[in-house]
Amino acid sequence: MSGVRPEAADPDALPGRDGAPGPPPRAAARPARRVTWRKLLLRPCFLLVLLLATWLWFRGAGLDSVARNSIADGNVWLRLRQHVVLTVVSTFFVLIIAIPLGILLTRRRLRPAAPAVVAVANVGQATPAIGLLALLVIWMGIGMQAALVGIVVYAVLPVLANTVAGLRAIDPTLVEAARGIGMSAAGVLRRVELPLAVPLILAGVRTALVLNVGTATLAYFGGGGGLGDLIASGITNQRMPVLVLGSVLTVALALLVDWLASLAELLLRPRGLEAS
Amino acid sequence: MSFWEYVAGRRAQLLADGWQHASAVFQCMVVATAVGVVIGVLTYRSEWAGNLAVTTTATLLTIPSLALLGLLIPLTGLGVAPTVTALVLYGLLPIVRNAVVGLRGVDPSLVDAAKGIGMSRAAQLVRVELPLAWPPILTGIRVATQMLMGIAAVAAYASGPGLGNEIFRGVSSLGSANALNQVLAGTLGIIVLALLFDAAYMLIGRLTIPRGIRG
Repeated sequence: MSGVRPEAADPDALPGRDGAPGPPPRAAARPARRVTWRKLLLRPCFLLVLLLATWLWFRGAGLDSVARNSIADGNVWLRLRQHVVLTVVSTFFVLIIAIPLGILLTRRRLRPAAPAVVAVANVGQATPAIGLLALLVIWMGIGMQAALVGIVVYAVLPVLANTVAGLRAIDPTLVEAARGIGMSAAGVLRRVELPLAVPLILAGVRTALVLNVGTATLAYFGGGGGLGDLIASGITNQRMPVLVLGSVLTVALALLVDWLASLAELLLRPRGLEAS
Repeated sequence: MSFWEYVAGRRAQLLADGWQHASAVFQCMVVATAVGVVIGVLTYRSEWAGNLAVTTTATLLTIPSLALLGLLIPLTGLGVAPTVTALVLYGLLPIVRNAVVGLRGVDPSLVDAAKGIGMSRAAQLVRVELPLAWPPILTGIRVATQMLMGIAAVAAYASGPGLGNEIFRGVSSLGSANALNQVLAGTLGIIVLALLFDAAYMLIGRLTIPRGIRG
């Protein structure tokens, strides 16, 4: 244990020490990063092994006609594609709704409205995603559209609350200093507040993506497709191979999306903020 | 049939479902809190173990609940077992994270002072560190409870107990006269339960957070 600890405890100090491909030589000169290349490579390797193992197991599992029916005609690819589309499209809408709204709510004129919005966000968090989706399906009819609206509504509130909290947490003396050297309100927003809030906005992107992959599994119950189809038909038909295949693909997709978002966080974070 | 007529007519069924929902979430939260705090206490002192606990829980949180249920069903079968396992697992995650972060955030000079007046290691933990870390742990419990309310609803699809059954009954009879009433009753019931739990936690916070560190 003690032989392992010091090495594992402080991997940030020597990025790229394990000789992983990719780290530019400059990396060592920079301050330690939160995520190292070794940690970055761990996730995709794990996912590859997981998918390979599942595939091998699935090939060997005896499928009867019911199970074969659930995966016939490229159903697996279709559901996977639908799931990705649901996730990407809903995340796009979440971001273009939540982030500008968050910026608006932190401007001086609208600031009094922020507590009300946060209160609504809290009640929204108490709403079960499946209930929200079901209500939307009853209202808008079965299909992908209702599912998309449900996924977006469900994720907008947390991302919005995050954005508001982050913009509020910016040191007011920085904003004051920017005003003091004669910047306009728009200039302060664009050149001081937004750059400082980048890590937070990226965290919002990650939250939205991960939430949406999860909510998209429920889209199936409203006829919206997605990998929930494989899981649900595995449960209702009691066909374990289909159930496990759907579940593993969903888990792999969620972990992959989270990993891609963390990669984006790493690459897009302003260099000046790295120390914090 | 209006919504209120529906609720009045199915009062017994709805109350039973609501009770089961609340009790499943409550019992799983008790287990998750106990296990989560123990994991936090065991790991926070070692940088390696604490970080491992936090990263592992964060990774598990990204797994969609329906997929986790799908992986549990082959192991445990349908019904209460996968529901309880999934609820306890998801409930653990925010608690472990907040326990580790909270315990690490305790001012070391306070622990030093406790040691200085002759407190044993256990006494330091129980009388100084845990009370100081209690507010973030309680926040973790609140977050976890809200999450479990929604996950318990999904677990009804794997024959779990609770108000989710009401929602899925509505979903499976889309277009029928009562579909909207069923979904609405299940959803509103869960929101009410979640808000009641939240109010209870606020009260617990009032009663249990030491006066000296109240914000």
